[in-house]
Formats: sequence, structure tokens, C-alpha cells
Amino acid sequence: MKKIFNYNKFLLLAAASTAFLFSCKPELDAVKPSAGEANFSKYISIGNSLTAGFADGGLYLEGQQVAYPNLIAAQLKHTGGSDFKSPFFTEAQRNGSGYLRLKDLVNGQPVMENVTTELAIRGANPAGKPLYTKYTEEINNLGVPGMRLDMAFAPGIGTVQGNPFFERLLADNTPGTYRYFDFATTKDHTFFSFWLGNNDILGYATNGAVTVPGDGTTVLTSTATFNQLYNSFIDALTLKQQKGIVATIPDVTAVPYFTTVTRKALLAAASAAAGSELKDIYITSSKGMRPATDNDMFVLPFSSAGLLGKPSPGNPAPYGLHPSNPVESKYVLDTDEIAVIKQRTTEFNDIIKKAAERKGLAIADAHAYLNRVKSPGIVYNGLSVNANFITGNAFSLDGIHLTPMGNALIANLFIDAINATYNSSITKIDATQYRGVKFP
Amino acid sequence: MKRLLLGLLLASPTLLFAQGSQVNTQSLKAVGMSGAGSALFIDESSIFYSPGALSKMDHNAISAGVSGIMYRSAFREANSMDVHHTKFKITPPFSVFATFGPKDTWWKAGLGIYTPFGGSVDWGDQWPGKYELNYLQMRAIYIQPTISFKLTENFGIGGGFIYNIGLVDLGRSIPLASADAASGKAELSGVGTGMGYNVGVHYHLENTIAISLSYRSKINTKLKDGDAEFTVPPALAASFPNTTFSAELPLPASFNIGVSFPVSERVDIAADGTFLGYDIYKELVFDYKDNTAVLQDTEQPKKYENAFSGKVGVNYKTTDKLALRAGAGYVFTPVQANYVSPETPDNNRVMASAGFTYEVNDKWSLTGAYVFQHLLKRSVTSAVTNLSGTYVTNIHAPGISLTYKW
Repeated sequence: MKKIFNYNKFLLLAAASTAFLFSCKPELDAVKPSAGEANFSKYISIGNSLTAGFADGGLYLEGQQVAYPNLIAAQLKHTGGSDFKSPFFTEAQRNGSGYLRLKDLVNGQPVMENVTTELAIRGANPAGKPLYTKYTEEINNLGVPGMRLDMAFAPGIGTVQGNPFFERLLADNTPGTYRYFDFATTKDHTFFSFWLGNNDILGYATNGAVTVPGDGTTVLTSTATFNQLYNSFIDALTLKQQKGIVATIPDVTAVPYFTTVTRKALLAAASAAAGSELKDIYITSSKGMRPATDNDMFVLPFSSAGLLGKPSPGNPAPYGLHPSNPVESKYVLDTDEIAVIKQRTTEFNDIIKKAAERKGLAIADAHAYLNRVKSPGIVYNGLSVNANFITGNAFSLDGIHLTPMGNALIANLFIDAINATYNSSITKIDATQYRGVKFP
Repeated sequence: MKRLLLGLLLASPTLLFAQGSQVNTQSLKAVGMSGAGSALFIDESSIFYSPGALSKMDHNAISAGVSGIMYRSAFREANSMDVHHTKFKITPPFSVFATFGPKDTWWKAGLGIYTPFGGSVDWGDQWPGKYELNYLQMRAIYIQPTISFKLTENFGIGGGFIYNIGLVDLGRSIPLASADAASGKAELSGVGTGMGYNVGVHYHLENTIAISLSYRSKINTKLKDGDAEFTVPPALAASFPNTTFSAELPLPASFNIGVSFPVSERVDIAADGTFLGYDIYKELVFDYKDNTAVLQDTEQPKKYENAFSGKVGVNYKTTDKLALRAGAGYVFTPVQANYVSPETPDNNRVMASAGFTYEVNDKWSLTGAYVFQHLLKRSVTSAVTNLSGTYVTNIHAPGISLTYKW
């Protein structure tokens, strides 16, 4: 009797432990990444500050490392992509150009400070503007902060008088005639992403739709010029039938830089300071002085400029609160200016889409995506992503550029579009592993 | 700009005692048959399974048992290569049953203390659903005094009062990065109580058939003054005061039908069907005592449906001393696909089990059982969080109990 018991018990135990060993940890098949009809063996990314990983008002190492092309490239590695080189600042100079940091929140109001240590500034140009530590090795991330489509074809941009972020990528003996277009179209790539053109609108918009004479960064590029240059660039990039992806230009009204400082918020602050309820903010619109409406947009720096309600040099009337001392045009996008900018954005995006269709390229519709982020906002894996300044998770402290999380989401937008167009199966990025704004 | 922080609204914390955590281990005899046997076994665990059968016991007994539930889930986000596993945790549900009363009479009383729900999942804070859940541990302890009456030799009726103590402990990440880029954390823990009852009838014909019907009421566990602690960057600490919370967790009513019949002198077959009235679980509301612009009460839709499970088992008395059993079952989930959440990544499940009872002598007996449950692979997109991916879960639960009879 005893024997039977032991024998049975042994069998039971054996069966149980076998079951345990083999199936305790449940298994899930992993997806198999594939390149589909595309060839990712040499991916290059062309673009501006967004492509470079600019964030919080500066280019610095942490931002460079999570730039959306770098995140895409990491996924492409599973589909035959090779190393993706970026002009990273060194660890010792990790803060690059310097950037904005949130120092405190006082009554819910952000207080920022500039990070000014561990910079990568090597000197200054004749005009006193900083020049950055050079990085002249071969790179794949060709994103240059401030790059515009018109400037990509202009000579002199790579010189010390030009764009310092482009200049730092070029060897010392580079002729002044060497253009960004030349730089980007001679990399022998097999696949490219192209997100250029934002600054052809944004440079004008961030300056309150005021073009500063002699400052090319504040020009609103004409549609005809954009059409010609955009198609030339795409033609050159697809000369050997390379595949790629282009991205549309976001709506300026979708970024916190233009949506955070509202007439209502300014009036509330001014009324509180004055101790009486104020009714109007006076602005310099494109049609002259008038009271602001809720449809006019103030740029983010107006809030920190601290001008509102104070007398100006030579004008004792309170700034912005009296018709004789209206808010300067460079701080305001009035409704007419917004209409012009929106119209131009639509025209540019039509050109981008047509060029992509002509060449069979994938399109990452950042315009549509960021409008969705703005309204109604998206819920991603349990977290809320929207266009609110600081708290919206998508935009960094400059109100224009993306947080690491925003970069991961945009990278996924690109990946979705590539997969849909080229029948590829690039794996997605877990954007919850990337942060929004850092709080003190 | 005053409204700046309104965007930081917390999504709802998730918390429930769900089917996913329901692993019935009250009687290891039943566990050996995958949960079947409410009609077959007439012993102290009838307090739980069939209060009407309790009065048919011809002796008194006390038994104590413990199981080790190993709940192991895996998740892969849609279109990702990364598979995330829950950490290895063992939850030890226990049960104690004791009967009282004179022998060979028309009534019997009993007391059961058992843990019908309990589980522990720990996904960590590095997985894609971290803003919904890091970890959840919970236990519900039922204390159930029961009385049972024999109306005829073959027909018994019984009922009990249930007092429930529920303990929960959960953590989740908050999407607020500190200077070192780490996410914030919310940690909630508390104890709740609730009351309910169970009733049942048991009918048998000697050597032919036995039938058990039982009903357990829903129990609304009210959690009050649970601790809510938040770890956030210092500049936001005022918006996330450590506070208390209250919540209500409805545990579903269940109706069970069990039958058993002998197929030979030594072999009995038993089958049980259980209906779970889970459509009462429509939403989960968290009420924080101290609300701020950021820390608001939350409502999370659950939209559970009623569910059914069926179990069959065989009991083989190899000798007078040793009984062996095996069983299998199928459980339909109450959770709709788009409301699946990581605390209980539920789905229909299959289970298989084996067990034994060894009569050491007239007084002592030892029962062991092992049940394996496999929750079928399920690809879901959460309507609440938009988390999209595939879950699969295995549950292993070995257990052992000791009975003393007199």
C-alpha cells in the first residue's frame, strides 16, 4: 500500500514539475522585422532642427540622441540598417549650444533658466555669434538647426557668417559655395527621410510675421520658389531610384509657441497687476493699431519679455494697455497674418505631397498628426499627449521642438508611413520609455 | 497660465478583484478536479462549495490548506519585438474550515476562513503599460460562519454569512519626469470590507447521483481611507499631496450547479457549472480625499459581462487509503477585449489538474493538488489607454492541505 502511494506521488510530482518547467513562463512570438521593398542599408535624414534633435531652445547631446531619425535608425537595424552616425557633442561638451531648463514653478507659472556649462562653443564669428565645436566625420543624421529650403540652395550658409550648425559639420577648407543641397545629395544613400521647409514659414511666423531686412531667416518663402527647390531636392535624392519618406509642415497654430500666451491670460495677469479689470490689449496689427481679439496669437517670448503694462523708453503709456503704446508687431500674429501663414502652409504641403506621389515616396503627415495632438489630443498607452505648454508631453520648453517622447511619437508616425508604403515591417518604438518635460 | 497644470490630470488607477485573479483553491480536493466536485465531496469544505451538504457530514473535521499561485503573464506591444514578462511572484491563498455539532443529527455548523480572490502581478516600471500599472497585489479574505440542516436523509439546506476583508497594494508610473528623467509614481494601498452571504441545497440518491445548487451573493467591498502616496518632482509636490482615497469594488454573485455520479464502485465523475454575475462591474471610481487641480477623482469604465465556467473531474479511490483525481475546465472571461487591462489580462482559459488524498489514519488525511490554467492569447487595444498588444498568461497553483477528523 505504502509503495503505491509513493509511486503515485512521485509520478504526480514529476508531471507537475515538468509542466512547471515547460510552461511556467508563457511565450509570445516576436514579430519578424523586414525591409519590404525598401533598402535601409544606408539611411540618411535631411532636415532642420527637428531632425537634428534640437529641443528646449538648444542643441544638446541628450536631444541629439533621441532625435526622431536616430530612433527610427535604431529600429531599422533589425531590418538590415547599418550604423547611423550623428554629429553628437562629446560628453564633456554635452550641453552643446546651451538650452532652457525649468527652474521652478511659482503659482503654476514656469520659471526658466539657461544652461551655460559644458558648452560646445569654440569661438565667435565676426558678428559675435557663437561657433560650435566641429564634427566633420561622415554622418547619417544631416539635420541642421535653422536650415531652410531656400538656404539649402544658397551659398555661404556653411561659412562662419552663415549657419553655425551647418558650419560645424564642414571641414575648414570647404569653399563658401558649398551648399547644404550638395552636402545632402552626395552621401550615396539607399534610403532617406526629408523634413525640410518648416523654417521657410516658421522663421517668419516666430518673428510675428515681421521680416527683418537683411535677415534671411525671417523671410516667408514664396510658393513658386518652394515648388522649384523642393522638387529639385527630391529629384536629386531619388536619382538612383532610392526610396524615402517626406514629412509635411505642421500648422503654426498647433504648437505651444503660438497658443500659450493668449489675450485672456495677458488680460488676467495685467488686471491682477493693475488691481482693476482691464478690457483690452492693444496690438500693432498688419493693418495698424487695434485692440487684440481672441483670434490673435502672441508668441511665447512675449510672456517672458515682461513688457506688458510697463512704460517704454520714450513712451510713458503702459505697454500694450494703451492705444498709444501697442504691442509691437513682432510679438503678435494677427488674424490676417495667421490666414496668410496657414494658406502658405497648405500650398507647401500640397507641393510636398505631389512630389512624394510623383516619386512614390512615403509621406509622414506631421501636419495632420500635430493637429490631432492639439485637438482633441491623443491618449498613448495610458498617457495624455497634447499641445499644452510644458504639460502636454509632446513639446519641449521652447514650445516648438519636441520632447524625447514627442520624438518617439513622430518616429512612429514615420515608421507607420514607411511600412504602409513599402510593405516593410519596421518595429515600433515604445514611446513611454521617453520623457516629456523635466521638472525640477 | 494659471491653468497650466490642468493638463497633468492623472488617468484612473486600475484596481479590481477580477476573474483574472480568481483561482479557487478553497478545497484542494476540488482543485484536483479543476473546481468540479461541489456535489461529490461532503466534507468541511462544503462550507464554501455546497453549504447544503454540510449537514450530511457524519463527523467533525478541521482542515487547513495553502496553495502557491504563480501567475505569469507576458505582453508584446503591437508591432514590437519586445516581450515583457511579469516578475515571478507566488501568492499564497490559504483556507481553514472547521465544523461543529453533534454527530448523526439534523444540523451542522461550520466556519470557513478562505481567500477566494488573490493575485500578484508585477510588470515593473519599464514596460509600455507602466502608466496604467506597475504592480498590483491583492487578497480578499472571507470569513464565513455557516449552518446547515438536513431536511430529509437525502436533502440538505444551508447558508452562511460572509464578512470580507480586502487588501490591495498597487503602483503605477506618473508621466512627470524629474531631473534624472525618471517617471513619477503613485502608490495606493488600503483595506476594505464588505458583507454578503451564501446559500445552497444538496440532494443525493445513494450510489446514483448527487446534485448541489449554491448561490453566493455579490459583495461590495468598500475601501475607505486607503493610503495614496505620490512620488513626483519637488516643484509639483504641492499638486500631489499624499492623501487617502476610497473606492468600491464589487465582487460578483455566482450561481453554481454541481452533479456527481459513480461510474464504478471506485470511480466518481463530477461536473460543475458556474455563472458569474459580473455585469455589476461597470466602472471603478476613485475618490481622493484631497483633490487638487491635478489630482482629481477618477472614473474608469470596466463594462464587465456575465460569465460562465464549466468543469469536470474524476475521482478514483484506488484503495481505501488513496484517492487520485484529475479534471479539466473551461472558463469564459467576463472582460471584453477592449477593456482588458494589465492588472488582470484576462481571457477565456483552459485548465487541467491532478490531485490526491491520502488517508494517513482514521484521524488524519493529506490532500494535494496541482492546477494549471492557460489564459488564451489575446490581442487587444484598450479603449481606456489605447495600449495595443497581445497578452498571454499561465497560472500554476500547487497546493496542500491537512485534515483532522473526529
